[in-house]
Amino acid sequence: METTTRSAVWPWISTLARVGLAAVWLIAGATKIGDLAESARAVNAYQLVSYDVAKMIGGVQPFLEIGLGVLLLIGLATRLTAAISAVLLVIFMAGIVWAWTKGLRIDCGCFSSGGELGAGRNTTYGLDILRDLGFLALAGVLLWRPRTRYSIDGVLMGESS
Amino acid sequence: MSKGSRDRADKARRIVEQQRLAERRRTVTLWTSVAVVAVLIIAGVIGYSMVSGKDEKTQTALVTPSVAVDEGTAFAVGSGPVTVDLYEDFMCPICKNFESASSAGLRQLATAGKVTLRYHVVSILDRASNGTEYSTRSAGAAAAAAEEGKFTEFHDALYADQPEENSDGLSNAKIIEIGKSIGLTSDKFAEAVNAGMYTAWATKATETFSARHFNGTPTIVVNGTQVTGPQDSVPTLDLITQAVDKAAG
Repeated sequence: METTTRSAVWPWISTLARVGLAAVWLIAGATKIGDLAESARAVNAYQLVSYDVAKMIGGVQPFLEIGLGVLLLIGLATRLTAAISAVLLVIFMAGIVWAWTKGLRIDCGCFSSGGELGAGRNTTYGLDILRDLGFLALAGVLLWRPRTRYSIDGVLMGESS
Repeated sequence: MSKGSRDRADKARRIVEQQRLAERRRTVTLWTSVAVVAVLIIAGVIGYSMVSGKDEKTQTALVTPSVAVDEGTAFAVGSGPVTVDLYEDFMCPICKNFESASSAGLRQLATAGKVTLRYHVVSILDRASNGTEYSTRSAGAAAAAAEEGKFTEFHDALYADQPEENSDGLSNAKIIEIGKSIGLTSDKFAEAVNAGMYTAWATKATETFSARHFNGTPTIVVNGTQVTGPQDSVPTLDLITQAVDKAAG
């Protein structure tokens, strides 16, 4: 039987990561869901896709973010939701790198409605990427050690939680 | 039973137990994964249908002012050879600054027959009026004013009375009152404002702005080329005039 301290501590660390990542998605989605037109403009500001496509992405994205947040919060298929989170985060970071290299002056629209920056406001691409790397680390913890406390996964697997 | 066979039986039981656990784990993983994918697909479909539902509503409710130019999304002043497009939001304080600094000069260029000024009233700041969507309401009211030949007067009056960002914006009653003060006394104007007759049009004008890959207001475009000051700031009247002269050749 494995009863070292390490194996007892990991589920708790993973639980923190799970709740943290859930909060990230819930907040990110909540800041956009009230104004989908603005969310569409934030996607459009990256100039990666046509406005019609941006409109669809801008509409779908906040709902996906909230969906992921809820799924992580209740702990359903944690490894899969962490993997999907990681994929999304990588896509977002790629978008920021693109905006950076193209010299666009935009707000990343990560936790806001984004859009073009006013005069005198600086872009914060480096910080945005660092922050996303932090979130990616949370997803990484869950991918590596998906067993967490207080999760539906745990209840269904018949583990004491 | 000998000690050896008891051990073997224990071992077999443990193996069966472990297999059962592993089997349960596989089943749980499979079905929770299916549930996750289903939830995310449903979430995506909700977002998609909200966007396409709004699109449909915009299309059916669309009333385009007969005087509007540029695919029905702008109001023209003057008829000079060089086109100056101004994209502005009535809620945007920088637009108000731009108006005070450059409006008179631009109107002179229009009067002198040098430029055609095209005012695009876009509504990208609906979130800045506590849910009353002042940007859209004011843009719609401007369309109603344009329909009665009083766009510039109404436009200037709205900027003169610009509400603070993140306030409730001006009420419809106040907008109608401003209209009256510049001679928009007809019931038609008041009805159009109260009924939100041009709400869908304001949405369309804003989408046209976005589809042209402009993001902020004010955006100033001379003969199809965006004019900006240093570091993407709002251009001065001088800069715009230079661009106009250059475009005129």
